[in-house]
Amino acid sequence: MGSQKRIAKELAELVETPPEGITVELADESNLYEWTVHMEGPDGSPYHVQRKIPGEALLPTGYPFKPPAVSFATKIYHPNVTTDEKGSMCLGMLRPDEWKPSSKISAVLQFARQLLAEPMPDDAVEGRIAEQYKNDRKRFEEIARDWTRQYATS
Amino acid sequence: MNLKQFLALEADCDPEALVDLRALDCVSEYDFHLMCPICHCPFVQPMRLQCDHVFCQECLSSAITTSRLADSDEFPCPSCRNPTSDVSTSVPRLLINMCDDIQVRCPFTVQGCQEIVPRGHVQSHVDKYCGYRLVPCPDGSCNKTTRKKDLHPDERCMHGLRQCSHCEEDIMEQDYEEHDRELCPSLEATCVDCETVVLHRDLKKHTETCPEVVSPCAASKYGCSIKVRRAEIATHEQHCPLIAMSPYFKAQNTRLDSLELTIRHLQQRNEIFEDGLANIRSTLVESARVGVTDRTSGRAAIDSEQARTEDSPEEFADRSSSVSSNATTYLLSLHESLRDEVGQLSHAITDLDARASMAIMNESLRIKEDMAHTNAAVNSVRMQVQWLMNPRLHHGTRAGFRTNTASTAGNEGARSQLTSSSAPGTSNTAGPSLGPLRPRRPSDSGREGTKL
Repeated sequence: MGSQKRIAKELAELVETPPEGITVELADESNLYEWTVHMEGPDGSPYHVQRKIPGEALLPTGYPFKPPAVSFATKIYHPNVTTDEKGSMCLGMLRPDEWKPSSKISAVLQFARQLLAEPMPDDAVEGRIAEQYKNDRKRFEEIARDWTRQYATS
Repeated sequence: MNLKQFLALEADCDPEALVDLRALDCVSEYDFHLMCPICHCPFVQPMRLQCDHVFCQECLSSAITTSRLADSDEFPCPSCRNPTSDVSTSVPRLLINMCDDIQVRCPFTVQGCQEIVPRGHVQSHVDKYCGYRLVPCPDGSCNKTTRKKDLHPDERCMHGLRQCSHCEEDIMEQDYEEHDRELCPSLEATCVDCETVVLHRDLKKHTETCPEVVSPCAASKYGCSIKVRRAEIATHEQHCPLIAMSPYFKAQNTRLDSLELTIRHLQQRNEIFEDGLANIRSTLVESARVGVTDRTSGRAAIDSEQARTEDSPEEFADRSSSVSSNATTYLLSLHESLRDEVGQLSHAITDLDARASMAIMNESLRIKEDMAHTNAAVNSVRMQVQWLMNPRLHHGTRAGFRTNTASTAGNEGARSQLTSSSAPGTSNTAGPSLGPLRPRRPSDSGREGTKL
């Protein structure tokens, strides 16, 4: 399977030279398609806590021709992350019609981390939070920090 | 060529006989531009699209089959997503040469081949030269594989067992030579230190006890750098100062370890407390902000400073004391300003009260004056009315006396002239009694009642 070889290669690369603030491992050693991701909230963002925020990346068997899915395991107060149990992340580049097989997971994860630092309220899944982000930044950051402290560290 | 031709192209080649170039272990570093964006390996049979992006043939065909819309002639390029309908097999020779030049290990490294060859030559190396390639046993009845170099010149099966003449172990025929030369445990070996000849299988045990083996002092982990033969180590250890001190070192080490553990525990507890404090502080600031929103700018400044201290929880530890005193001063100032405000309010209220009572007094004075005027006017009107009425009354009384004696009818007529309130059917007896009195009208009685 071509996909396994590429996934193994990308995983080895990510484990060997992890991008800043991101660590990756397999959720289950025998399954290449489920990754556990630990992401450090970017400095200066309300998601910056002492512990890393846990999440996961699910790779379809059709990878790299089908996009992976990135989600957070804990609740995150963010315009581009759903506040339900799934915590799935809305990334433009992960949409099926935007995805390119030449994109790498490393790039996806770095983009996700960048999104934590700079939310994109115009591309939001949680309209209410996006509204608050635009109009009442202070309150938004407060709640986001509270949530991160409450959920990500427990 | 168009997509259909391209997809048909792939079916032609036989994957079994070929070395999987993507699974090879590259020894030399290669430029990442030589890497196919889909499989992340150096290009294998590169193909070019209209947009000049290059992919492996195999990767491209799987990309086409997954992303092409049902039998259309176009598909989006995996790199730039430009619609493409044409695949070109002609890529620059330079690119192919660079890919073929990457140094790789022989795929039979596990079997023992140490060869490193350029990738372009790996197929011919495996086909012709590699002695470690696994080939099926020449004997048709044996289903094992054997390394190419181990094949017997007579092409007979080498998988039968043969007993070793020294150790009496059963060894496969193809491995016998190697066993006899190196691995057999009953071979003799010489200890490198004491030059005693021991059996191969006892060599390990011997090196552990050999008095000639040079070994480090037992206190080496505390810094003794002396290495002597095992026989002399006992004499050294009697004099080694570090050995004498080692119990103390050990005790100190355990103490350090336990202290470190305690520190870690305390750090964790500290973290928990800090979190709690931060929570309390944020609630405080929150409640203060609700009250302060419409206050003056001075207080807003305090507020923003408070918010800033909250912004950086990691700095909180070293600033905690100043922050707590900040909070107290802040609360005190809040209290002070509230007190001022209450004072101002009560002052304003007294002011208003005085003004209101003044206004009321003014108003009532004027009204009193007005009333006095009206009373005077009313009185003068009454006087005038009386003066006007008097002659008429006198006249009426006199006429009454006159008619009273003459006829009742006349009396009635006169009375009806004088008063409208008296009913026409009044008895005759009532007539004379009315005479001396002044006849009354309802308005008269009303006025008398109000007269002060």
